[in-house]
Amino acid sequence: MISYLIRRCLIGLITLLLITFVVYSLIRFMPGSPMTNEMAMLDPSKSISKEDYERRLKSFGLDKPWYEAYFVWLGNVTLKGDLGRSITQRKPVASLIGERAGATLLLSGSSLLLTYLLSIPMGLWFTVRSGKADERTLSTALYTLYSLPSFVAALYLQILLAVKLGWLPLMGLKSEGFESFSIFGKALDILQHSLMPIICFTYGSLAYFSRFIKSNMDEVIRQDYIRTARAKGVSPARVITHHAFRNTMIPLVTMIGLTLPGLLSGAIILEQIFNWPGMGQLFFASIGGRDYETIMGLTLMFSVLTLLGQLLADVLYAFADPRVSFS
Amino acid sequence: MSQPSAETNSKNTVAAGFWSEAWKRFRRRKLAMAALIYVAALSCVALFAPAIAGTKPIICKYKGSIYFPALGYLRRQWENPIFLEIRKEYSTRMKEEDPDSWAVWPLVYQDPYRRVKEGEWPGQPGNPSGIMGAPSRHNLFGTDQQGYDVFAQMVHGTKTAMLVGFVSMGIASVLGISIGALAGYFGGVIDIVLSRLIELVMCIPTLVLILSVLAVVEEPNIWHMMVVIGITGWTGLARLTRGEFMKLKELEYVTAARALGLSGTRIMFRHILRNALAPVLVPIAFGIAGAILIESGLSFLGVGGEAPNPSWGSLLSAARNTLEETWWLVVFPGTAIFLTVLAYNLIGEGLQEATDPRLTQSGH
Amino acid sequence: MFPRLRSLFFLIPLTLAFLAGCKSSDPEVPPKPGESSGAGTQEEEVLLQPFDAPPLEELEAKVTWEDQLVVDPMDLLREKQAQTEPLVTVEEALQLRNNSMDENAKTLNASRRVAGSDAEVEWDATIVRHLSADIKSSNPLMINSTAEFDVLGLIGFEIFGFDWNMTPLATSDTVKSWQTSKDRMYDKVVLRDDLTWSDGTPITAHDVVFSFQTIMNPKVPVPAVRQGADKLRWIEAYDDYTLVYFHSEPLATNMWNLNFPTIPKHIYEESIKEDVTLQDSDYHVKMEDHPVCGGPYKMVKREQGQEIVCVRRDEYFFKDGQPIRPLHHFKEVRFKIIKDPNTSLLALKAGEIEDLELTAEQWIKETDKNELYEKNTRVTATEWIEFHFIWNCKTPFFSDVRTRKAMSYAFDHDEMLTNIFYGLYEPASGPWHSEHWVAPKTPLPPYKQDFEKAEQLLDEAGWIDSDGDGIRDKEIGGKSVKFEFTINVAESSDNGKKACELLKSCLDRIGVVCHVRPLEFTVLQEKEFNHQFHAAMGGWGAGADPYTTKNIFGTDEDRNFGSYSNPEVDRLFEAGEKEFDRQKRAEIYSRIHTILYEDQPYTWLFYRNAFYGYNKAVRGYNFSPRGPYHYSPGFSSIWKAVSN
Repeated sequence: MISYLIRRCLIGLITLLLITFVVYSLIRFMPGSPMTNEMAMLDPSKSISKEDYERRLKSFGLDKPWYEAYFVWLGNVTLKGDLGRSITQRKPVASLIGERAGATLLLSGSSLLLTYLLSIPMGLWFTVRSGKADERTLSTALYTLYSLPSFVAALYLQILLAVKLGWLPLMGLKSEGFESFSIFGKALDILQHSLMPIICFTYGSLAYFSRFIKSNMDEVIRQDYIRTARAKGVSPARVITHHAFRNTMIPLVTMIGLTLPGLLSGAIILEQIFNWPGMGQLFFASIGGRDYETIMGLTLMFSVLTLLGQLLADVLYAFADPRVSFS
Repeated sequence: MSQPSAETNSKNTVAAGFWSEAWKRFRRRKLAMAALIYVAALSCVALFAPAIAGTKPIICKYKGSIYFPALGYLRRQWENPIFLEIRKEYSTRMKEEDPDSWAVWPLVYQDPYRRVKEGEWPGQPGNPSGIMGAPSRHNLFGTDQQGYDVFAQMVHGTKTAMLVGFVSMGIASVLGISIGALAGYFGGVIDIVLSRLIELVMCIPTLVLILSVLAVVEEPNIWHMMVVIGITGWTGLARLTRGEFMKLKELEYVTAARALGLSGTRIMFRHILRNALAPVLVPIAFGIAGAILIESGLSFLGVGGEAPNPSWGSLLSAARNTLEETWWLVVFPGTAIFLTVLAYNLIGEGLQEATDPRLTQSGH
Repeated sequence: MFPRLRSLFFLIPLTLAFLAGCKSSDPEVPPKPGESSGAGTQEEEVLLQPFDAPPLEELEAKVTWEDQLVVDPMDLLREKQAQTEPLVTVEEALQLRNNSMDENAKTLNASRRVAGSDAEVEWDATIVRHLSADIKSSNPLMINSTAEFDVLGLIGFEIFGFDWNMTPLATSDTVKSWQTSKDRMYDKVVLRDDLTWSDGTPITAHDVVFSFQTIMNPKVPVPAVRQGADKLRWIEAYDDYTLVYFHSEPLATNMWNLNFPTIPKHIYEESIKEDVTLQDSDYHVKMEDHPVCGGPYKMVKREQGQEIVCVRRDEYFFKDGQPIRPLHHFKEVRFKIIKDPNTSLLALKAGEIEDLELTAEQWIKETDKNELYEKNTRVTATEWIEFHFIWNCKTPFFSDVRTRKAMSYAFDHDEMLTNIFYGLYEPASGPWHSEHWVAPKTPLPPYKQDFEKAEQLLDEAGWIDSDGDGIRDKEIGGKSVKFEFTINVAESSDNGKKACELLKSCLDRIGVVCHVRPLEFTVLQEKEFNHQFHAAMGGWGAGADPYTTKNIFGTDEDRNFGSYSNPEVDRLFEAGEKEFDRQKRAEIYSRIHTILYEDQPYTWLFYRNAFYGYNKAVRGYNFSPRGPYHYSPGFSSIWKAVSN
């Protein structure tokens, strides 16, 4: 087990190297440079002279061929632990990510947790009531939610809860004078601000996850051992939760591994609507601005999370199903 | 190493028997059948879109010859250049130029690519623009902010909606299931290599990939987009399949098959695969429908190919500007997407049960 | 200072930003005027060659000075308003729904009134303004986007500005006198002696010289402000308050080069030696969040992506308890950064922000609804930002003026104005708005759709469908080329895409195939800079001085994306910069306007109006061709009424 983990971590490092190399080459391949937007936003009465252009490229370290620039980046990351500085915002990438990590984690983390907490019981319930009217109604309702774009829901929630009723704040993460609140007041304030974003972030995925659970359960409950258990008089609820559900653990664990990087990926549109200082907007803006350093910092973070998610899933397989062994 | 012909033969009969049996069981499921009919109907709409909504005659006789101008919606070249002399103003100038001409018109005189103006069609006013385009007799589903008819856009966007889903998820499914199966079944070095490939693809941001594609492809079109969605969307499927294979390959029947000397591929694809599909069915069903939404998201980045490219997703994004007023821009495309998601999932469920050999015994 | 002079800066951006759907969210305006490019030599390592400034006495002896305008822009505004009669009372105007041009005129008329007396003004008021994008830097030298303009307009120390007619001026808040030599080679400015930075250090002429030298230091990565400043030969501070600007050439446009931002010498003199970026070192990072400000306001809070708070500096307005300058109207200015247009509108309705630039869609949809009018009113006014299709003259399709004209005739301008842009915008026919002082006296009529003419022009140009496939073609260099081109447009601009689709459908009827290709903004820009396109949709804001248009239409100029070239136009632009007589200058540029109208390097489409919603308590919105803020007095004319 330990040796497996060590081996996986070593392989993971090599994978990271490969990923960052590929991504770096791809982002340098995108048309445009950090200068493109800068020049486009200039007053049309001005222009950047060739010399100034070269000077600025050089100050961004972009005068070198991309592979050289990659190794410079890699050197800084591995030797100095320095993710570099955002090209467009001139702040250290690590602090840009750090500033947003909390808010993103709050939103995505609660939303993921909520999704699993709601969809697992719903999925199990769907299995029991499969084909019955109540199952059909609820699942249809979930499909409806899935098809309702989150920006529509967000706007109507804002109009109703924030503008008309005034129960919740319209946007942002904190209220005016947040610093002076008590601990409890701070928590309540953040909760109030995050409620609408979390709802909008969550409702759409309920259908997917609950149907996913149900589909896997359907497969399992037809297995012979389940029928045996039933025949032996085990109560239906117990069959579902104890015998059947345990056997759908492999896909569920895979799914959890797959959603782990989502913890920090944020949501571009919802963050914009709720003025939420999250990672999605940062990522989107850094791609638009060709902010190579920031994109690489974010890619590195996502990649580490992705690899961890996969590793976690692989390790949990052995616990979820003893037949699976580390190889 | 037996006689190949005999084996192929027996495989065919087995397969035929299995699938016809499955089809029988599938037909018994009313909801699944309804869903299938819906998808079939949607395909018809996609195929015959120019005959359903358009401003070009389906068939017409003009100056002594028969033409099919509506085909111009599918491909510009299929619209005869002779109509340039009336500047393609069929409804008003065809009769003027040739009083003996006649034409069979699409069911609805509306165009997905432009606003229909006053005086183009007898008794039909020009399409309203701004936020005034609520559904009416002339605009069944209303019009968007620039006065394009929503119904016509949805009818013509059906092709995109269906193609994007099937092609991109087709690519993703084939890649995901086969790579996942190989990794899960063989394990060892193969698994290590393939798993790293999965991780690599997972970590490449789709936005970045798309923009890099733009650097290489001069004239990106909808097919490029489908390929991009396909080659980035398979990793989850691969992980799920791999997990199932890792579990199932340890089961008795697989060991038995192996003891019988069956080849690895045969075991994988004939014996395990059927049982490993449950976890990927829902992701695939949602994926086919979800591609409709991804498509509009991608067109936001400029890989959406050429405009105008009416699609359900782009109507939804157009709605964002005037969400409270133009409810019809959300409700109609939203409903279409909802029905499609529902249909694909019902078909998926139907397939899952119809192809389960145990079900015949369970008397479900 | 800034709020008044907020900008000498002129051209607004163009950028398809707005069209790009981002409205002002995209950074746009840069500071300061500059010269169009081209002229002058480019130094290699050293941008600023050493210069031995003559003693002041020597200079005074040989130069004849002419006084330039030093004024409180608010006085100019009061003067202007005194000449017009109010159409309605403010109370009446606030009742209006503003659904017609007439009502808009009344609202505009009432909303722009400056305070009649000090008693009407709520002097301790806070205003919450909207920003659609965060600022990237609070250092005036790094200024580049509109958001930065809005903020630095309050906290930055400014000497020059221009009024709503784009007449340059120096503000009496900071300047005692401003003189220009008769030969246009020197400008002399005497600063006031009662100016201080927000840390109490006096502001002197040495700060201005230091700022100039920093801007001209090639190692300092200033994005925008070097242009213009680099046309100056030298600046000398003869004492703490007397500055002389030395020009390289005598040009009518020299005064536009004087305006660049000023930073405190005592703060940066040492630190720049360690960190030339002015942003990277710990010390500079601290300065970014707590800048030492020279303007009427200072920044007290900067929360990334959320909020910026500026408060009025008492020491700027009072000395020993006595007022030394006219007090600015707000004690506190809060900028709320909200990117999403829908959320911004909700925030305006809820009273969380007090001004907002509306989108065209938001303007039409609020027409008959109540929520907006509970707390707010709204106005629209012409802004000189024109939009157009650019034709790449280097392509076989558009090298011939006849094909470009054919495009303009084929396009359905009426349909675009009425339905794609909801009848809100006025048509454009050339680079300058018809009310611009250089526009031709008899306005040139905008193009109208005329298929016959378009077809005739294409025939004449040799584009005929010779192979009967329904697409016009022409033999070029022995090969048959089909008239099939691609027009690029910003993907984020729904209206822009629709305008291009309209072009496509118009051209389809005359045998020309046009592909509409929506592109991500950066990709679109990259292709334009590299001239890798057939046609594109774009927009430009108006410069404060007409010479700035040179870099758009001059041969091989940087922003001449379509590679248009006409020696006559080049010659006229040269002449325009050398002509000192305003009337004669106007005639030169008017001639350029007419030639461009004939040559159609662009198909001009429309001017984008400004749409604003603002709180009913807020008064004094005066719209210039650059909107309500980006001129003098701009924001400083805005005030809040005492509530009853």
